[in-house]
Amino acid sequence: MNNKWILLFAFLILIIPGFLFSQSTDALEKSILKKKAVEYKKEINFIKSQSFYQKKEWDSTLIYSMKQLSSTNKKELIDFSHYFRGTSFIQKKLHKEAKKELLLISDKFEFYLNARILLATSFLELREFKAALLHYENVLKLPEISKQPHHLSKAYEGLGITYFFLEKYDSAENYLVKSLEIKEKQKNETELLNAYNAMANLYYVQYKDSQAIPYFEKAYALSKKVKNISKKAMAAENMAAVEENRNNYKKALAYKKESDQWKDSLNNQNKVWAVADFEKKFAVAQKQKEIKVLQVENELKNSQRNGFFFAAIGLLLLLTGGVYLYSQKVKNSKIILLQKNKLDELNATKDQLFSIVSHDLRSSVHALKASNAKLSETLETKNYDELNQLIVQNSGIANSAYSLLDNLLHWAMLQTKQLYFHKESVHLHSIVQQIEYNYKPLLLDKALDFENLVSKNVFIFVDLDSVKIVLRNLLDNAIKFSKQNGKITFYTQEINTDLCQLIIEDTGIGMNEITIEELLQENELLAKKRNSENIGTGLGLQLCKQMIKKNGGTIAIESAPDKGTKMNLSFPKTKNNG
Amino acid sequence: MDNINVLIIEDTAEQSDALIKVLRQNNYAVAGVAANFTDALKLFYENTIDIIIIDVFLDGKPDGITFAESINIIPNASKPFVFLTSSQDRQIFERAKLTKPFSFLMKPFNELEILYALEMAVEKFYAQTNVFLSEEQDTVISSDFLFIKKKKSLKKVAIQEILYIEVEERYCNIITEKEKFVILISLTKINDLLDKNKFVRTHRNTIVNIDKIEEIIPADNLILLKGNHKINLSDTYKDFIKKMNILS
Repeated sequence: MNNKWILLFAFLILIIPGFLFSQSTDALEKSILKKKAVEYKKEINFIKSQSFYQKKEWDSTLIYSMKQLSSTNKKELIDFSHYFRGTSFIQKKLHKEAKKELLLISDKFEFYLNARILLATSFLELREFKAALLHYENVLKLPEISKQPHHLSKAYEGLGITYFFLEKYDSAENYLVKSLEIKEKQKNETELLNAYNAMANLYYVQYKDSQAIPYFEKAYALSKKVKNISKKAMAAENMAAVEENRNNYKKALAYKKESDQWKDSLNNQNKVWAVADFEKKFAVAQKQKEIKVLQVENELKNSQRNGFFFAAIGLLLLLTGGVYLYSQKVKNSKIILLQKNKLDELNATKDQLFSIVSHDLRSSVHALKASNAKLSETLETKNYDELNQLIVQNSGIANSAYSLLDNLLHWAMLQTKQLYFHKESVHLHSIVQQIEYNYKPLLLDKALDFENLVSKNVFIFVDLDSVKIVLRNLLDNAIKFSKQNGKITFYTQEINTDLCQLIIEDTGIGMNEITIEELLQENELLAKKRNSENIGTGLGLQLCKQMIKKNGGTIAIESAPDKGTKMNLSFPKTKNNG
Repeated sequence: MDNINVLIIEDTAEQSDALIKVLRQNNYAVAGVAANFTDALKLFYENTIDIIIIDVFLDGKPDGITFAESINIIPNASKPFVFLTSSQDRQIFERAKLTKPFSFLMKPFNELEILYALEMAVEKFYAQTNVFLSEEQDTVISSDFLFIKKKKSLKKVAIQEILYIEVEERYCNIITEKEKFVILISLTKINDLLDKNKFVRTHRNTIVNIDKIEEIIPADNLILLKGNHKINLSDTYKDFIKKMNILS
């Protein structure tokens, strides 16, 4: 009797997995889920939950179906989610939760039948037999069940087991037989084994041993073909109990041993699983480590990449800086080159100037020397007339050499900006007179007629010494380029209240346009000796131009060859009250 | 009319000799030649000096400027002066410029330049520029003297020697106790420049030195000056008599 209850107990434990294994092999469900996954491919949570559902990863299914529920209001998706959740809860043996989820599924749902069967199973598992009975009977009333024998057998089996628990053995037998019939047609070994077990237990509990034993034997025979070790063990144990009741102890022992063997192997398998689990954990830990290592590597790479990045930026900056500096350098060197060229040019002019100046000076001094020698010679012969002439000549040479030197000095001072410059009111007539005074012998020598027609009322506001230099040079030139018995005239013309025009006119050899242009060019020294006697360095006129400019005046030249020259100067007048 | 007394401060004998020659030729009197700073001061205080010609460099030192600076400090002692220099050194000029009034003559110079420089120095000193060389005026008037350009040179007449001045258009006849001469100056100008407490107008074209009045005869409209000069007194200008302190 005791053994009978033990068997029943074992049977009850095993009943549920039997249900669910069969369910997951439902091909129809698979194909529908595949279609739905395509239809709702944008609902990531649905896709994930159904994929986890098919992989039987229940926890993940629960999570993603939950997410799906909170994110959608499509009836079908909600039904699917509840379905997934219900199934998962049953697998996790949380039948109360499974019941709640399954009750929420609407009757339009594709797997409504499945859901209802599952619901009834939950009630059965919760030992709410009356509710289970009601639900199983309702399932039988659903129209589509006739087309799905698999489900029908399940419903019959459920009803049978429920009645069995309610100890209505007749009804139980009726349903279990029906279930067995369907299962025998379907030839699912595990299902069949369950059914045989159920039948055997049913009869065994009613002490209909003769009817029970064949089923036990069938179950045992079938268990040989089944891979499920716990079922094998159970079948063997059942046989052991049967043989024990028949007092066939030898066989009972053999069955018992076999059962123990299967149990051991089950344990072994459990151990293997445990080891596998441990290994898995170890692998996970290993992976975790690897991940950490990878993370560190990543960080390292990141920092390296940052380093590269900054280095690149630095290099770029350096390059731009370099290019900029280089361009600056090129620019500078261009400027320097230009300046150098200009300087070279100026230097060349200066060199030429100096060579001409020194040549002039040398010839002057040489002439003086020669003249002096002649002078002493003449002195010995006491030829006084010639002596006088020689002295005049000497003084002329000395004068020209002096004025050359003077010009040079002033030019140098002007260049080095050392020249003292002080503007004051100057009486132009007197100045012209003073200049003329020094040139009287020269004028006399060439029998030139000099006229100072400058108005006595003209006062100009200039630097006295620089104006003297200008007038001296211009008079010197006028004398130099005048022929014998020529005429030199200084006269003024009123232009306006601010400027006074001074004109120096001679009747000399004059000059052509080109020479005028050359003379008036800025910073050009007329370093040409076209006529060794007459044309000088141009230094004098250069000096004049600069001095006039400094005094706020202007210079213009009017001339034609053999028509004489007119030098047109203008100077600022002294303000009347000044 | 007296010659102008010139003091020469010059350390080179050759230069001073040339200067003396030119000055004498042009009727200037050379009051003395000093070769150094101390001599110069001594001569300056011992003699009556009208113009000083100063060489900037004495023995290579710019003592000439120092001299000008020292006589400028003493009130009323300063006289017109001309700097002589061969240097165009900026610094020297900058320093010389501070001794206002300032005129200078660059060596080498000719006769005309010396005379011009002297005239300029007088004009600048008495702040009456553009006088001697214009055609409208030839006299600079200081508080003590008239400096008159005569031909190429300057002459001076002590103001206290003037008896009276007669104006004839642009000219003025100056009558002193000893002589009588004509200067070129307008009446208004001379009236402005003369001391109003000493010179009064007695007639439309007559200015009289009050100090020289011997007697005023209002009945005959006559003023008697020293040396028996008789001057007409016009009614319009009689008022000046009231201002005079008449001895009773």
